[in-house]
Amino acid sequence: MRKTIWRGVRDALALPAWVVGFSVLGIGSLAQDVGHPAGAAMLSTVLIWASPAQAILYGGLAAGTSLPALAIAVCLSSIRFLPMTIAILPLLRHPRQRLVTQILAAHYVAVTVWVESLRRLPVLDPEERLPYYFGFANATIGVSALLTGLGHYLADAVPGAIGAGLLFLTPLFFTISLTAGANRVVDRAAVVLGFLLAPITTAAAGKEFDLLVAGLVGGTVAYLIGRLRAAR
Amino acid sequence: MEHVSGTLWPYVVVVLIGFLPSEIWRLLGVLFSRGLATDSEILEWVRAVATALLAAVVAKLLVSPSGALMGVPLASRFASLFLGLTGYLLVRRSVIAGVIAGEATLIMLTVLCDG
Repeated sequence: MRKTIWRGVRDALALPAWVVGFSVLGIGSLAQDVGHPAGAAMLSTVLIWASPAQAILYGGLAAGTSLPALAIAVCLSSIRFLPMTIAILPLLRHPRQRLVTQILAAHYVAVTVWVESLRRLPVLDPEERLPYYFGFANATIGVSALLTGLGHYLADAVPGAIGAGLLFLTPLFFTISLTAGANRVVDRAAVVLGFLLAPITTAAAGKEFDLLVAGLVGGTVAYLIGRLRAAR
Repeated sequence: MEHVSGTLWPYVVVVLIGFLPSEIWRLLGVLFSRGLATDSEILEWVRAVATALLAAVVAKLLVSPSGALMGVPLASRFASLFLGLTGYLLVRRSVIAGVIAGEATLIMLTVLCDG
């Protein structure tokens, strides 16, 4: 079993852990920018474990969003974990498994770990899957927490141009990954509408609720566009 | 006491505003993992809202940034974003290539403008 755990760790360190870590480097810089300590930024990676939610949290704090509106925005942004968790747990399940084990396994669900696990787990023996998954996921979360701390440190220690580059990392990464993931009409419409609506809703709804309004209006319109396209 | 609460405040924010609202979906996923089709209409809508919300955040970080990025002109930010996307599309749809292209553009433009 120990061998299986380490195989998971090794596979994560081969590339996936660094891809995720790279994406939260900018989160550390955003956290530094709003005056949060490195420990809180690293804790946000370990506990929230969702860089979009973290970007919303620290981006929203920087923009002056009210805390209740921010909690709702974070909550809405993480809804994808519901179907993702439902999809992956059957792969990890075995008889007499305790609920605590399932809750712990579900905590690691995030885009990269999820995609890689769906690809790697089915070829393993059923009793190898859980140890492999925990090895893989813990290595990924560990590297990511360390790189969050590094991003926080770098934001303060590097010259202006590099500091600007670190803060640019989060919007740049998500623009590209949203583009990469938008394969259907509904996804593309949601990306474009959310992007264009943000400045308009800031003027209309104020900076405390603009993100929420942009997400709800843009997402609903995108969903309807997708339905209309499907119905034709 | 005030000093302690001030020091702990960022951690409280991370747990209450970040962790709990996010983790609830993983917990519900555990409970619902039997039943509920992943292609149901309500989940489709929910995914669209989540995507639009993330795009809105990205737009805000680009249009009204904070810290060192505030000193970079809006035109430079969008030029860097455009070249990042171009790099992604040209280099076998590699996200890393796009990020490197966008970052290199932004840092070069910033250094050139300052100097």
